[in-house]
Amino acid sequence: MNGSLVIIERELLALLRSPRALAILVAVALAFAVIVILKWPSSGIVQVDERQLAVQTESAAESSADQLTGVQAKAVFQWLAYAMLTAAILIVPVFPSTSLVNEVRRNTLELLLNSPLSRASIYFGKAGAMIGFVLLLLFATLPAMACCFLMGGLSLTGDVLTLYTFLLLVCVQLVVVGLLVGTYCRSTESALRWSYGVTFAITVIPIFPELLFPGGTSPIARGFQWLKLMSPIPSLMQLLNLGSVGGSGLMESRNVLLWYISFAVLFIVAGSVLCIRRLSHSLLDQARSQGSITDEQSQWIRASRRLLYVVDPQRRSTGIPWFVNPVMVKEFQCRQFGRMHWLLRLVAGCAMLSLLLTLAASRSTETRGVGYTGALIIVLQIALIVLLTPGLAAGMIAGELEGGSWNLLRVTPLRPGTILRGKLISVVLTLALLLCATLPGYAVIMMIQPNLQQQVVQVLISLVLAAVLSMLISATVSSFFRSTAVATTVSYGLLVGLFAGTMLVWVNREAPFGYSFVENALRLNPMAAALNAIQANGFQSFELIPSAWWISSVASGLLLIVLYLRTVRLTQPD
Amino acid sequence: MSDSRPVVEIHELSKHYGEFVALDKLSMTVDRGSILGFIGPNGAGKTTTIRILVGLSRPTSGSAKIAGADCVTELAKVRRLVGYMPDKFGSYDNMRVREYLDFFGAAFSIPRKERRKRISAVLDLTNATWMQDRYVESLSHGMQQRVGIARTLLHDPEVLILDEPANGLDPEARIEMRTLLLRLASEGRTLIVTSHILPELSRICNRVGIVAGGKLRAFGTLQEVTRELSQRRTIEVQFLSSVGLSAAAGRIRPLLESDAEVTISEAESIIRCRTSARDEKLSELLGHLIASGDKVAQFREVAGDLEEAFVSAARVAEAERASQAPASGGSGRPATSEVTR
Repeated sequence: MNGSLVIIERELLALLRSPRALAILVAVALAFAVIVILKWPSSGIVQVDERQLAVQTESAAESSADQLTGVQAKAVFQWLAYAMLTAAILIVPVFPSTSLVNEVRRNTLELLLNSPLSRASIYFGKAGAMIGFVLLLLFATLPAMACCFLMGGLSLTGDVLTLYTFLLLVCVQLVVVGLLVGTYCRSTESALRWSYGVTFAITVIPIFPELLFPGGTSPIARGFQWLKLMSPIPSLMQLLNLGSVGGSGLMESRNVLLWYISFAVLFIVAGSVLCIRRLSHSLLDQARSQGSITDEQSQWIRASRRLLYVVDPQRRSTGIPWFVNPVMVKEFQCRQFGRMHWLLRLVAGCAMLSLLLTLAASRSTETRGVGYTGALIIVLQIALIVLLTPGLAAGMIAGELEGGSWNLLRVTPLRPGTILRGKLISVVLTLALLLCATLPGYAVIMMIQPNLQQQVVQVLISLVLAAVLSMLISATVSSFFRSTAVATTVSYGLLVGLFAGTMLVWVNREAPFGYSFVENALRLNPMAAALNAIQANGFQSFELIPSAWWISSVASGLLLIVLYLRTVRLTQPD
Repeated sequence: MSDSRPVVEIHELSKHYGEFVALDKLSMTVDRGSILGFIGPNGAGKTTTIRILVGLSRPTSGSAKIAGADCVTELAKVRRLVGYMPDKFGSYDNMRVREYLDFFGAAFSIPRKERRKRISAVLDLTNATWMQDRYVESLSHGMQQRVGIARTLLHDPEVLILDEPANGLDPEARIEMRTLLLRLASEGRTLIVTSHILPELSRICNRVGIVAGGKLRAFGTLQEVTRELSQRRTIEVQFLSSVGLSAAAGRIRPLLESDAEVTISEAESIIRCRTSARDEKLSELLGHLIASGDKVAQFREVAGDLEEAFVSAARVAEAERASQAPASGGSGRPATSEVTR
């Protein structure tokens, strides 16, 4: 225990001294203050249920007061709760995932493991420090929550404390995810990417299958209903007395919260045990590839590998042809999933995804209509773009600067334009592959309603613009930082700000924002343009196309210019 | 191997980072086919000079030319003339050695067929063929150094600039590296090598430049440099037998300055003198010994010690800095990391 305290002190102090942590805390406090201001009643009078006023005069039991809540306070409380969960999902994985990787890279894990500290002490010390930071993060939201509480109608124990306890549990689960992922990764970049991937996989993705395959009593449909319980989102909704995800306002009959708590506790315990087991010298002593190559093996092995792999990853490459940009080839080769055999697997995975989406689109359009299905696919695609693009583009320059290979590029005769083109093409091709995989879903929509062809084309244009804009934002951010981890985090922040931040304005379209303000804000967001094109619920009244396209195109053009100028600057002598 | 035509010409090169002077009017020339050992304490200005030579940094004033190409205005030319190996390897993940070299070959626009041949040749030259299919990041430091040199040789540059090539190598690998560098020089390439392993450097360099405090403190052959910087020289007098060594030492002592060191090695039959005496005085000493009937087998000056010269230069620079620094404290000099990228 003593050992853990030593680690907690060291880690937490180091964390709090970093400008990044301070910036995050300040940003969270400000963002939550803004949410409260946006949702604060414009008249200054809080709508409180009449019965509640009556109850306030009596020393009624707290349980009865819980049922008599103020409408507006509840609404603000719900928004704060969602925002806190979003902040937790976006912020918490950053620090634990990079913590262990940084220790390995700086050779300090070696020192820790050779000290009298036990592996469990090291693990609990690190986890404790991260949880300490999480607590600070939650404290940063307290002023906003206090304002909400002052509006009345909320129970301190029944609402506020329960919410904070629930969020703490989610955060602890995410800390364990981050630490565990950190034991499998060797670079901060991949640790961040995988951490976000796993975080989204256990928080957001479990709710989609049921949305796409609604209802049903088949074993698969039931499986999807149970899968949903792994996510904290349905539990939060139950906690806020809202309907279930995709339940059209209907309350979930099962005790979702209890199921989630059970799952989270199990995950935390199992994850901690696995992480402690992995926290050993084997992390520092990983086997090096002997570089076996198929070309030097027997004819039979070569033939069988060709059959198995189609593109054998262990075949000696023939060299870069003159007409291909060498930087692009290098980018694909360096990327863990950039090799041809992985790209083929990605194509196969995307084909499977597209089949599933096609099936889902046909099933869900029957029950919920084309607009709903289209909107769902758009949101899913944008989520994929936001998840993948920073991982692909945010390290393109920052990673080279960090690893020292940028100087090697600078002393070659490659022009800045060639370097940039090679790097961007490698990202564009991967994103294009992912976008193409989701096209069959739209084909089904068009088959069901052929008159939607023009709208689908508009959606696709908007999605392409969203992908290009996301890529250029991440790449431009990459040119301003010398650390991939920082560039990736900033990129995620900006993309979430662009795609989710503007949606926050849309959510407040009734008040305090006026129609024109909301429309202008949505014009910045190509996802909103796509939702507008498919006439999704709540977007029909806006006229976002083609102005949103123009804005995205001009922004992309400007970002490309900035990126090019930065690349030129970075290749020039200091 | 060197001919007298200078291939690297540096004239009054200065580089300022704000108020800090990283390089102060450094001038030197390096002849074709020679190996220059470029040494100095940490933060002396070595890396800054190298970065200017390879076009990674722009000088505040002065000029640097490689084979006539200006390092500021003719960067494209310079990049083809120079092979640069930085102290940091700069590897790419998931790339095999051959792919790594293929990428840099393609970056230098070497046609694919020729590139394949060049890669095989440089791998062979650096004794790294056996690791061509290994992943770059999985190689040990010594192996990476070899791959780094192979990369610098790919486009067949005239000048090789190697920053700490022997850093982290085991003795055997160091011997291999030494042989390789001598071989490259014998092919007519010019090498500029920085290293902190001075005995190693003194065995391969035919020119030495010592930089400290941003200034070139000494430049020339090893002997010239050590003589210029060392206040004392080492003279060895070998006798036919060890009989009467003490008496001979007694005859030598009065002829040298009072603080000269005279030591006897009975096993080698040698008397060693550490003295600041000039050649005339030493000639007089030899004559005196012969006249006294001592059977002198050899009378020679031992080649200067680079380490001593290095320390002398560093001390001079330190003294200069101390005299310039304000009395209240500090050298007023930022850490190396602050002044170099």
